[in-house]
Amino acid sequence: MTSISAPPQRFSLKPYLEFARVAFEREATYRFEVFTSIGSLLVRVYLFRMVWTALYAQNVAPKDLSLQDAITYSTVALLMSLVLDIDQTRLIHDKLHDGSIATDFMKPINVPLYFFSDGTGEVLFHSVLILPSLALAALIVHIDIPPPDVLGAFFLSFLFGYLVGLLMNFILNCIAFWTLEIHAVQLIVTWITDLLGGQIIPLIFFPLAFQGFIFALPFAAIYSTPLLIYVGSVTPERYPEVLGLQVMWIAIFAVISVFIWRAGARRVVVQGG
Amino acid sequence: MAERLAIWGDVYRQYWRINVLTALEYRANFLVWFGFTFIYHATALIALWIILQEFPSMNGWNFPQMAFLYSLWMLAHSINNTLFLTVGDVPEHVREGEFDRVFVRPLNALFQIITTPQQIFPDELILALSLFVLATIWSGVTVDWWFVVFIPLIVMGGALIDFAINLVIATCSFWFVRVDALRWIAFQLEQEFTRYPISIYTKGVRLVLTFLLPFAFMNYFPATFFLDKAEDALHLSPFVGLATPLVGLVCFVLAYWFWIIGLNKYQGVGH
Amino acid sequence: MPIIETRNLRKVFRSVKRYPGLGGAVRSLFTREYVDKAAVEDVTLAMEPGELVGYIGPNGAGKSTTIKMLTGILVPTSGEIHVAGLVPHEKRKENARNIGVVFGQRSQLYWDLPLQESFELLRAIYAVPRDRYRANLARFSEILALDEFMETPVRQLSLGQRMRGDFAAAMLHDPQIVYLDEPTIGLDVVAKEAIREFIAQINEERGTTVILTTHDLADVERLCNRIILIDDGRVVFDGGIERLRNEYGTHRTLVVTLAENCESFDFPHTELVEREGNLVHLKFDRRRITAEQLIRAVTERCTISDVSIVEPELEDIIRRIYLEGYQHQAQAPAPSS
Repeated sequence: MTSISAPPQRFSLKPYLEFARVAFEREATYRFEVFTSIGSLLVRVYLFRMVWTALYAQNVAPKDLSLQDAITYSTVALLMSLVLDIDQTRLIHDKLHDGSIATDFMKPINVPLYFFSDGTGEVLFHSVLILPSLALAALIVHIDIPPPDVLGAFFLSFLFGYLVGLLMNFILNCIAFWTLEIHAVQLIVTWITDLLGGQIIPLIFFPLAFQGFIFALPFAAIYSTPLLIYVGSVTPERYPEVLGLQVMWIAIFAVISVFIWRAGARRVVVQGG
Repeated sequence: MAERLAIWGDVYRQYWRINVLTALEYRANFLVWFGFTFIYHATALIALWIILQEFPSMNGWNFPQMAFLYSLWMLAHSINNTLFLTVGDVPEHVREGEFDRVFVRPLNALFQIITTPQQIFPDELILALSLFVLATIWSGVTVDWWFVVFIPLIVMGGALIDFAINLVIATCSFWFVRVDALRWIAFQLEQEFTRYPISIYTKGVRLVLTFLLPFAFMNYFPATFFLDKAEDALHLSPFVGLATPLVGLVCFVLAYWFWIIGLNKYQGVGH
Repeated sequence: MPIIETRNLRKVFRSVKRYPGLGGAVRSLFTREYVDKAAVEDVTLAMEPGELVGYIGPNGAGKSTTIKMLTGILVPTSGEIHVAGLVPHEKRKENARNIGVVFGQRSQLYWDLPLQESFELLRAIYAVPRDRYRANLARFSEILALDEFMETPVRQLSLGQRMRGDFAAAMLHDPQIVYLDEPTIGLDVVAKEAIREFIAQINEERGTTVILTTHDLADVERLCNRIILIDDGRVVFDGGIERLRNEYGTHRTLVVTLAENCESFDFPHTELVEREGNLVHLKFDRRRITAEQLIRAVTERCTISDVSIVEPELEDIIRRIYLEGYQHQAQAPAPSS
C-alpha cells in the first residue's frame, strides 16, 4: 500500500499540532486520575521529607549534601516524574497490539511523527500539572531555588534527560513489532530507571566502586544529571562534561530508534499488518 | 454446619486443583514472573542497603533489621496475594456485569470471589520466605517458641489486614465505576510506608498507620517485639506486636460488614 | 400450583442526578438529588411446572430486570415473588439450588482448562452427590456430544461447543427451573439446532421449567408453547403463539401464480407487496376481507394457475407490536362479508 505514490505534498505541521491538541484534551478528561496522581505525589513528598529527616537526625551530612538539599532533591525528582513517568509513545505498542497500526500506514502522514505529537500533547498536559503540584508541595516542604544560571542549566539538562527517556521508551515500544507483549519488560525498565537513574536515592550515595559505572549508564542521564545540577552537586565547570554525556546518549538512541523503526515498519508493510 | 464446612472444603480443594493445573499449563510464565517479582523487591532492598551504607542507621535501625522489617511485610503481602488475590477483580466483574453470577450460586458471595480460579504462581511467596529466613539469621532474631508460635499467626494476621483493605477498596466499586487509581495508590503507599520503622514519621502519620490503616501491625510492631527494640513511635508495650492476629480479625470483620452493605447496594435493597 | 409467581412486581432504579460540566460535577458531590426510573413497572405472571416460556420484549423493556429479580440478583422495590415456594432474594442460596442460569454472552467455564475441571468445581459448589453427577454428565455428554471435546481447554473450543459446555454446566445440579438468556446468540444454524434440541429434551425428560429470553424468535417458535411479551415494564401479552398470531397477525399474504398476464391489483384492504414475473404477493387485512373474498375478486379479474396463503412471520408480528403499540390491535377478527 505504501508503494502507491501519493501526489507530492508540501510538509505541513498543522495536522501534528492537531494530534497534540487532541491528546492534551483527552488527558484532561481523566479528572479522577489527575487528582489522585497529584495527591499521591504530595503524600510521597511528605514521606521523603520524613525519611531524610530521620536519616540525617543522628548522622552528619555525607557527600556535602545537606538535609535541605536531600529534601529538595527528592521533591524536584518527584515533580520531574510527573513528566518523565509518561510513556509518550505507548500508542505504538497499543496499536500494534490491536492491529490498528496498519491503517496508520495508509494515511498520508509521517507515522512516527504522529506518535510523537500525540505523546507531546500528553506530556504538555502533565507539565501543566507541575505548577499546582509545586505550589502544593511548597506547603509541605521548603524547596531551595538555585541562582538563574544553574536553573537554566537544570532546565536544559531536564530537556535532554526527557529526550533520553523518550527515545528509550520509543525503542522499547518498537520491540512490540516483534513480540507484541512488552509490558513486563517496560515495568522492569521503569524500576531500574528509578533506582539507577537516581530518582529514589541520589547516585552520589551509591558505593564508590560502582559510581563510575552507574554514571556512565543512560539511566543517570534521565534523572540524576539534572537533579545534581539543581542541588549544586555538579558544579558549573563540569556542565560541558555531563551535558555532553546526555547529548551522546540522545545521539546513540536516536540512531537505534531510526533503525528499529525502519525494520519494524517494513515488517508491518510486508505482512500487511 | 458440619455439612456446610464439608462443602466449603470440597470447593476449596477443587479450586486449588484448578489453580495448580492452570499454573502447570502456563509453567513457562513462571520463570518470567519469578524474575519480575525478584527485580521488583530487589530494587527496593538495594535502595535501603545503599542508604544504610551512607547513613549508619535509621532511627536506630540498621540494614539487617530493616530487611527483617521488609520481609515481614513481604511475607504477609505474598500470603494475601496467594490466598485472596481475586478480590481485586471485583471492580472489573461489576463493570462488565459478570458479578451477577455470584448471586445465582448457593454459596457465600465472598467465598465465591476468593475461590475464583486464576493463574497463581508461588514466586512471591518463595522469595518472601527466602528473604525472611535470611533476614532472621542476619538480624540475630532469637528463634524461640514465641517466634515459632507467633510468626505464622502474625503473618496470617498481616495478610488479613492487607486483605481487608483490598476488600474495602473493591467494595467501593459498587458505588463508583472506576476505582483502579485508588487501588494503585493504596498499594503504592502501603509498600512505601511499610518500608521504614514508623517511628520516623510525624505523630499524625504514626496514628494513621496504627489505627486507621493499620499497616504498622503487619510489620513494625511485630518486628520491634522480635528484635527486642524499644517501641518508640507510640511508646506502647512491646507485646503490642503480638496483637496482629487480633487486629487482622477486627479489620476483616469491619471490611466484611462494609462488603455486606455494598452487596445490598448492588442488589438495590430499598429501591 | 404455579412454580413461579409474581404479583405487581416493580423495580425502580435510583441514581444521583448529574449536572453537566466541571461545576456540575462539583455540585453533584454536594447535592443529594435523585432521579428515579422504573425498569419494571408492574409485572404479574404465573408459570406452571414444566412450562417452556418465551419471555420477550424490546431492549430496555425490563426483561433482564425481571429475570434478575426472579433469580435473586436484585431485590424488588415492591410486589411479591415466589419461586418454587421461596422468595428469591430472602432465601438466595436455597433459591440458587433450584435454578440454573445460562447467559449466552458470558461463560461460566474456566478458560484455560478442559470442561471436566469446571464441572468438578460446580459439582462441589452445588454439592451434587457423586452418583447423580456421574449420571447427569453421562446423559448430557450423550445429548450434547461433549465427549469429542471434553479434554480440550475451553479457550480452544468453538462458540457452539463452548455453549454446549455451558448448558451442561448449568444443568449439573438438576435445577427445577432454568433461565436462558440469549442462549443461541452468535451461533451457526447447526449449533443453534443442537442447543434447541437439548432444551426441548431436558424439558420433556425432566419436566424442567424453562424461561427463555431471546431476540431470535425462531428459538421461541421452535420451543415455546407460551409467550410473555413485555414492553415498558408491563406485560402486554401472555398466551400461546397461535393466539398471538390470531390477535395481532392481522395481515396475511396471498401468493397468486398467474396463468396469463394481468395488470390491475387494486383490491379493497389489499396491498401489492411484490411482483416477480407471474408471481404476485398480495397482503390483505383479514379483519376487513377474508381470503375467500379476495381470491374470488382476483379470479374475476385474472386467470390464475395457483394460489397459496402465507401466514405472517412471528417476527413481523412482534415487530409491529413493538413499533405500533399493542392496545388498539386487540380486536376480534370479525370481517363483515
